Amino acid sequence: MKRILSAIAGFFHGEWWNHYIKTLKYAFYVILHPFDGFWDLTHEKRGSLAAANTITILAVLTHLWDRRFSNFMVNNTRWSQFSIWLNTLGILVPLLIWVTANWAITTLMDGKGRFLQIYMGTAYAFTPYVLIGLPMIFLSNIVTKEEGVFYTYFNIFALVWSGFLILCAVLMIHDYSLLKGLVAIIISIVGMAVIMFVVLLFFSLLSDTVMFFVSLYKEILFRIG
Amino acid sequence: MKIKRLLTILLLLCLMVSTAFADDDDWYTYTYSYWKEETASPNAYSVTNTLYGMDVDPEIGNLSDPRGLFCIDGRVFACDTGNNRIVEMYKEDGQYKLARIIYQLNVSVNVAEKMMYEGKVDNTLFQPTDIFVKPITKEQRELNFGTKYIGDPYIYPDEETTEEPGETQQTETPDAESGDTEEGGEGGESGEGGEGGEGGEGGEGGEGGEGQTEAPKPQQGPKKENVIRQQLDLDYDIYIADKDHNRVIHCDYSGNVIGVVSNPKDDTLPENYKFRPNKIVVDNALRVYAQAEGINSGLMEFDKDGVFTGYVGANKVVISLARKIWRKLQTREQRQRTNQFVPTEYNNLSLDSKGFIYATISAVDEQDLWAGTATPIRKLNAMGSDILIRNGNSFPIGDLNWSSKLPSISGASAFCDVIAFNNDTYCCLDMTRGKLFCYDFQGNLLYAFGGIGYTSGRFTRVTAMDNLDEETILVLDATRGTITEFSMTKYGKMINEALELYKNGYYDQSAEVWREILQFNGNFELAYVGIGRALLRQEQYKEAMGYFESAHDIENYSKAFRHYREEVVEKYILYAILVLAVLIIIPKIIRKIKKVRREIKEA
Repeated sequence: MKRILSAIAGFFHGEWWNHYIKTLKYAFYVILHPFDGFWDLTHEKRGSLAAANTITILAVLTHLWDRRFSNFMVNNTRWSQFSIWLNTLGILVPLLIWVTANWAITTLMDGKGRFLQIYMGTAYAFTPYVLIGLPMIFLSNIVTKEEGVFYTYFNIFALVWSGFLILCAVLMIHDYSLLKGLVAIIISIVGMAVIMFVVLLFFSLLSDTVMFFVSLYKEILFRIG
Repeated sequence: MKIKRLLTILLLLCLMVSTAFADDDDWYTYTYSYWKEETASPNAYSVTNTLYGMDVDPEIGNLSDPRGLFCIDGRVFACDTGNNRIVEMYKEDGQYKLARIIYQLNVSVNVAEKMMYEGKVDNTLFQPTDIFVKPITKEQRELNFGTKYIGDPYIYPDEETTEEPGETQQTETPDAESGDTEEGGEGGESGEGGEGGEGGEGGEGGEGGEGQTEAPKPQQGPKKENVIRQQLDLDYDIYIADKDHNRVIHCDYSGNVIGVVSNPKDDTLPENYKFRPNKIVVDNALRVYAQAEGINSGLMEFDKDGVFTGYVGANKVVISLARKIWRKLQTREQRQRTNQFVPTEYNNLSLDSKGFIYATISAVDEQDLWAGTATPIRKLNAMGSDILIRNGNSFPIGDLNWSSKLPSISGASAFCDVIAFNNDTYCCLDMTRGKLFCYDFQGNLLYAFGGIGYTSGRFTRVTAMDNLDEETILVLDATRGTITEFSMTKYGKMINEALELYKNGYYDQSAEVWREILQFNGNFELAYVGIGRALLRQEQYKEAMGYFESAHDIENYSKAFRHYREEVVEKYILYAILVLAVLIIIPKIIRKIKKVRREIKEA
């Protein structure tokens, strides 16, 4: 018991933990100095995957809590149709597709960033969404409908900020000029659509194939029987 | 093996049949929830009668393609369009009885030239599509129209029998079942007897009345005689939209023609314009508003003498930005081809008790309905602008989900008639699905019911409806030729009561009724709002918030919440200040103490 406790204590004072906290704190620097921040994030290794994962999880939680706890006046959730898993995947899957598409595109466009770096940059860009979104959930519960516009505006502001950070991340991680970065983002979005199409096609074909074998099996049974 | 196969097929068939029947278990009466889902509702109206012409009176036979219906003071006037006649019925002891059948009207020489149709005086009806009955006293009538219309009956030139015009005579008419020649002399005691209406010759009938007109001569061969079962002299004027004769006939209750609206003259109308009045209403100033075929500038308004005075409620053409851009991209030819940005026509109208016109438009674009820019139902004021209140969760457009279990039906609701009740609720008749949609004065859907089908309370092709009284609706089914009578149930009456109380400011009492309604229908969002509002007035903000949340009424929730927040702040502000004070003062005191200590130490 003592050993476990000391191990845990050691963990929280260990080098890994310190590095984790440092990289997580670095997110504050990144959102305020995006160009410097994202450059150093990967090139100077001032960010960490653990911190990126943390921010991603926080972003998902922010979204879920927003749906669950924000005030009824600004919250149009239809509970009978609400699925916590769909909402979680609704963030994670596009994120995965985005990172994949962007990585695939930038590999062809002389991008310097690697897959995990792109993921890290995107995750760090979610920080404003978390930082503004969480207080807004609380705020929405103490304002009336007229004052509720602040909730909307702040959330839009957070999204715009995050979007801008994603652009900066792409520019810095891949060492692109502004124009090339924008083009890369647009192509990535097209790539996302292509990926989704291919996945859907794959699953539809797969289900057709499975159905074929199932019906074949049934038919054989029927004939034998 | 063969047997097995047969059994399987049989089983499959059974399954198919059972699912086919299971499909029919949709709600009869429903409302829409905030999420635009159909939610079951108790019946607000129930079918109490389905009238076939045959059942009311064998004389009526079958109604053929009836298009118009009008009810007033327990009397029902149905336009039997296909048979070129008007059937008047009345309700007595819960039974509908035939009062009379009007095939033709009485024309005096003074108004004969107004009744000219294609060169000769024609007093018959030809595809009458609508009828409007206006209560008017004798004095008012004389004041407005004089007594000139009363006079010697017009003698039809091509009549074979040329008896003395003054006296009505028994004339042989080849195929008219009734040989009765007098049908106009409303003063006469005769006419109510006999199946065929052969109440003897009422030769003195004309003189018996208050000096009104005498009966005109019977018509040529194929013309049918009026059938009179009940002879009354009521203070009504009848307006008939005699569509295929291109006129609106105005006559008194006995059928003596007073005036005719025909051939409107105006610069906006084409040279060879044929006036085809489809639906009419008459307002308190005796102006006639007609919805005419081919007129898309609004409703045609005529003064009491039948002179065209202008349009009312013109539809504005609104071209969306996308369409404008699209037009810019088109070539000249394409543009010309798609130049038809014509405003849509009204297709029916009715008058409420306060003199506002409710008008329906069925030819609306489904895209516009989605966008909420189309207004299939309008309430027009005297200026012709739309003053309908649309405060509901969704606009009054009928069905919100356009998919249907019946595969042959698709598309949005198309209103073909509307009735407005005295409490400003109004019901619209949807000819797409044979449904009635009733809305309150704020535009909230109260209930919708009906449908396409052959069971009672469903229709094949609805054309018109009217309310017999505040709690009875009659709906005309043109294909079957039936009139379906709906009577309000307790549930419907309770809703009306609650609305009435609410409108008059008795919020607390209305909440009581709303609570009762919730016992019947827990899905009824309007009831939650009603209770919430009462609670709001009683300053029970927390409870009110709960009710508003149930009904998704954000506006009122916000109001309640504002007060609730005030309450909470007022309650805890003292503690908050205390806590703050403590937080500020205590460190100061501590600092002071430390300072004093230090000073003491140093000293």
